[in-house]
Amino acid sequence: MSNDKLQKKKLYAISSENRQYSFSLPLKHTIRIGKRDYEVKLKADEKLGTYILWKNRKYPVEIVRSRQNRYEILFNDISYTFTVETPFSLQRMMVLNAQKGKATAEYIKAPMPGKIIDVLVREGSVVQRGEPVVILEAMKMQNEILSPINGTVIKISAKANTNVMKDDLLMEIKP
Amino acid sequence: MKVKRILIANRGEIAIRIMKTARLMNIETVAVKTAVEPNAMYLASADIIFDNTEDNSEIPVFLDIEKLIAIALKTKSNAVHPGYGFLAENAYFAQKCTENKIIFIGPSPDAIYKMGNKTIARNLALQNGIPMAMGSQGNIANEEEAIVIAEKIGYPVIIKAASGGGGRGMRIVRKPEEMGKMFTIASKEAEKSFNDPSVFVEKYIENPKHIEFQILGDTKGNVIHLGERECSIQRKHQKLLEEAPSCALDARLRKKMGNMAIQIAKAVNYYSAGTVEFLLDSDRNFYFMEMNTRIQVEHPVTEVITGIDLIEQQILIANGEALKLKQEDVKLKGWAIECRINAEDVQSGFAPDPGKIESLSMPTYQCVRVDTGVQNGSSIVASYDSMIAKLIVKGRDRKEAIKNTKMALDKVWIKGTKTTLPFFRMLVRHPKFQDGSFTTAFIEKDLEKYYFNAEYEEMLAAWLTVKLFVEENLNDDSISIDFKHGKEINPWLLNKRISQF
Repeated sequence: MSNDKLQKKKLYAISSENRQYSFSLPLKHTIRIGKRDYEVKLKADEKLGTYILWKNRKYPVEIVRSRQNRYEILFNDISYTFTVETPFSLQRMMVLNAQKGKATAEYIKAPMPGKIIDVLVREGSVVQRGEPVVILEAMKMQNEILSPINGTVIKISAKANTNVMKDDLLMEIKP
Repeated sequence: MKVKRILIANRGEIAIRIMKTARLMNIETVAVKTAVEPNAMYLASADIIFDNTEDNSEIPVFLDIEKLIAIALKTKSNAVHPGYGFLAENAYFAQKCTENKIIFIGPSPDAIYKMGNKTIARNLALQNGIPMAMGSQGNIANEEEAIVIAEKIGYPVIIKAASGGGGRGMRIVRKPEEMGKMFTIASKEAEKSFNDPSVFVEKYIENPKHIEFQILGDTKGNVIHLGERECSIQRKHQKLLEEAPSCALDARLRKKMGNMAIQIAKAVNYYSAGTVEFLLDSDRNFYFMEMNTRIQVEHPVTEVITGIDLIEQQILIANGEALKLKQEDVKLKGWAIECRINAEDVQSGFAPDPGKIESLSMPTYQCVRVDTGVQNGSSIVASYDSMIAKLIVKGRDRKEAIKNTKMALDKVWIKGTKTTLPFFRMLVRHPKFQDGSFTTAFIEKDLEKYYFNAEYEEMLAAWLTVKLFVEENLNDDSISIDFKHGKEINPWLLNKRISQF
């Protein structure tokens, strides 16, 4: 695809909280704050690794993972998840979001690698938001994993005395 | 007998901290090299390295009393410093050292035992008229007994491990229905962490400040205090930031609490460095909580405002020397703040994020002291704690200390794991932290967001994301974005791009 065809094209970065950032292509190396454009540079060196230079300050950056158009990046020690959308795919995404059913199950995943000490509920248990459902031991601390919603436990994958990795599914709760 | 060669029964920053002072005192040090961290930074500070990498034992060497005694004897170390954690508060270890004519740099086994057992410590405090929260007379056997006591003293109550410390084996109970579950959790955690499932119940003081006094005692019976530290910034009883002094105390209250701390220390003939922890409620009533019979993680803030080297004092006391310092010699000057920079993900409930430190650089300002056990290429391993570094910042007063901390935090550069830095960047900007009105409930109650990012940071992150996307797709002839229909990106190409990036 030639560059002039892209001239008036835009790309959007959509944050996990649904904030939109739009960028015209070809991508400029400046960011406008108020009425001024500030230069932004992506750099890398041996000592600091990859960083962004902006307004005379260096910010560490890292790609945590990326899959298709979804990126998780670390910027100044904070992670951000964005999907990159074209004007067309953004529109499609908005339609899909509007259609999305409300009563989808909540998947509880292990927030960190560790060992399941206890499963405090059974399939069919009714749980309140904030109620502990699993006890996970990691780095010698016992952590209560809380239900994020009011609902019914429909499936339990966690077993006591087994080890889990980060993001392993523990249980499904249906509102 | 004088301390001539110290076996450091610890690792990480505290091992380095101890060896630094030992070197200044012309005392030799021995560090233990383990298979978990064969290239750890602390090894470079030692005069002698004992290679324990061939050890296949399941117990980490720093918890293995017999092994450590054998290493001390083999390396002709005539003293052991336990640091904090591991065996630092194990009376049996201290006893074993003494039996083998090795100086244990710390208090007597008897003092460790009495203060380590919270029910004995409670009774001692009671006998000495030290104010305390109401609670059970001794350990409690089961949930039913706990409920009976809770009904008597009133909810909320806190279940605590009798042999506990460091915030583990503690659970707050607000209503009788929760007692069964919490009792089981606390007791199980206590058994796992301290090899002792016994727990007791105490009235839970709501929204207190955590104030602790650093004390020093010698073997001649002299005990002084070096002022207080405030450690109210904590999450699940784990301290995140400590400062000295505390803005909640005036000279009068400091004197009163300091004297109480000295009194409880004297009740067990305490010598070496120790810490007496109190809770201070909103009416300025204080309650004895526990005594820690070791050097603490947060000891540097006291060193910064008193100018006293606590490790040096520990060694001199272990030599049998009398304290040269008198209470009136202790002057608190300026303000110090310590941030515990841990490999934790503040965006996922402070979950540990072990990994390799790819790049690390710390501020070199005059007002900054950094105690760390890691450098470029070091790993934060899951088997130990998640500490990367302690950033200790001083100022003439609290306001200046906060200002300097804010500046220093922006100069800390760590790549490779997520860290608690964004949390501290938020904290130093928070009005409740700035005005000093925070309590131990601060993190749970007053915070909506656990991290700080300037408004433009997300925008820069978005720009970077789009930049990556464009580079991965548009610049490659074999692939193009179909702006009309969207495009599935070939994951193989993406990986190639990431590895080049």
